[in-house]
Amino acid sequence: MISVGKLARTGFWILLIGYFLLPMLAMARFAFQTIPTFLLTTENVFQGWGFGSLTVAFQDAGVIKSTILSLQLCATTIALTFFVLVPLTTYVEVSAPKLKPWLTGATVATWLVPPVALVVGVAATFRQVIPSFLTSPFTLTFFYSLWMLPFTYRAIDGQLRLIGAKNLFEAAQSVGCGPITFFFKVILPNLKSSLYISASLIFAAVLGEFTFASLLLKQTMPVYLWSFQSSQARAGFALALLVMVATALILGFAVARMRRRGLNFSATGI
Amino acid sequence: MTDVQFRNITKHYGTEVALSNFSLNINSGELVSILGPSGCGKTTALRILAGFIQPTEGNLVVGGHGILDLPAAKRGYGMVFQSYSLFPNMTTSENIEFPLKLRKVDAVTRAKRVNELLDLINMAEHARKFPHQLSGGQQQRVALARAVALEPPILLLDEPLSALDATVRDQLRDEIRSLQKRLGITTVFVTHDQQEAMAISDRVAVMRSGQVEQLGSPRDLYQNPKNSFVAGFVGISNQIKSTKIGDAWKVLGSSVSGPAEFNTGIAFIRPEDIKITPSPNGIAVIEEISFLGSFVRVFMSVDGARVIADLQISDAENLATGQQVELTIRDANPLIESMGNK
Repeated sequence: MISVGKLARTGFWILLIGYFLLPMLAMARFAFQTIPTFLLTTENVFQGWGFGSLTVAFQDAGVIKSTILSLQLCATTIALTFFVLVPLTTYVEVSAPKLKPWLTGATVATWLVPPVALVVGVAATFRQVIPSFLTSPFTLTFFYSLWMLPFTYRAIDGQLRLIGAKNLFEAAQSVGCGPITFFFKVILPNLKSSLYISASLIFAAVLGEFTFASLLLKQTMPVYLWSFQSSQARAGFALALLVMVATALILGFAVARMRRRGLNFSATGI
Repeated sequence: MTDVQFRNITKHYGTEVALSNFSLNINSGELVSILGPSGCGKTTALRILAGFIQPTEGNLVVGGHGILDLPAAKRGYGMVFQSYSLFPNMTTSENIEFPLKLRKVDAVTRAKRVNELLDLINMAEHARKFPHQLSGGQQQRVALARAVALEPPILLLDEPLSALDATVRDQLRDEIRSLQKRLGITTVFVTHDQQEAMAISDRVAVMRSGQVEQLGSPRDLYQNPKNSFVAGFVGISNQIKSTKIGDAWKVLGSSVSGPAEFNTGIAFIRPEDIKITPSPNGIAVIEEISFLGSFVRVFMSVDGARVIADLQISDAENLATGQQVELTIRDANPLIESMGNK
């Protein structure tokens, strides 16, 4: 007799596969198989597969340009977020714990404002004050950094608590170590895993982000893909699928790497 | 000379007073334990000496110089924490070497010193292990080696044995004492465990409510507690209602000397100071006899109150549960406090 728990688990997996896997399989078939749906039979289901649509996509100069821009935005967002958040979170954890509720609130607050409101508000302000601010596509870096604050902050904060950063700072002081040396020699090496997982999340999120870029009229990969798909539907879907698989692989690799180091995904605080 | 003088130190946390006119002198090369219950201010005193917090008032003098303006990293005192606080990204060797690197000691001297310390703490075979690969006792040994790597003038120990199991605790306690004596470092040891404090210290400062209640050698504190708090905190004490008859105090079946200011009080009598004599008219009834290895503990009832006596095994051979006994005390001058003080 099958238990209710087992039945519920099986049902859950069937739903999960139906919700995620089937659309992706349909997408893959459309992108990589040249036989139209109405001609598809059980005899030819494995015929006509190929990566021609990807070749078409990579021959388009706009795809290459927008992909490079998206990758650059990933890098600048990771750099800016870490540059601001790692020292700030460390300082609050070690020297100013009273500020912690404020910092936690501030990082969550960015998610209380919808991207549309954020972009419109910022655009209206900066067009008056610094008109050049919104002209560069790298303006997006600031929006993306704000957008990724809750995840990155939690990953860093979780790891700092896990290693007992406050106690370590006192131990470091007792052996004559100043705050700068402590930050570089003790904190950064011990934050490796959470920085790695944060970087992976930022990479995945920025690579697929559409709203900010579209509203600010920047041709990042997702925005370009949107228009590209209308003229080259199969190539557009192939590229979208490739991005999805790459993102999943990066996150999977990050989780596997953490597990090899004996860390649970939840250890990052996410 | 690295004597330490806490001079009328007061520390407030908002409206809460952690230390109130706290004064304590520690001689050079001496190991002094600060003993007290949770919240008595012992860790606050240690953290002020370490430089992690500043007092609200008072002065702290080490080797004749006020050091309150000196930041923690510049004081150069070794410190061992309850939570070990080893750097997780460094191996045993690297943890011990870290202070030497900061002091820019050359590589050859560094390697020699690390090897010496690894031998000293019997951890040479664990030199390449990371903290998470070591047991609690091993981690604390490494923390101790790291703390003394720079041969500091003062060693601060903040409940270093609290997180360890009993066997390791006793062993490491003896190792700390042996190391401290060998290196001659002035050491401040904070603990809430009176046995630990008694076993390791030259002198013990018993604290209550931010002040030192009594400072003395372990023997002195045990045999001559200044008040009921010290008597109750250091070792076990029977609290026995007593009355003054004439010039003498009647405590159980004995007459002893005591204060003249009041007529009824509580006498604090150590279990080993109680003598038991079987007697059919005795005032006490034996409720339980426990064999504790090297001695026997006898639990008795006297007018509804419980009295404990510790006897040599040979002295307890003729005793049995339910037996009536007469009790006298060996201490001719016990601590007696007015009932109002209780």
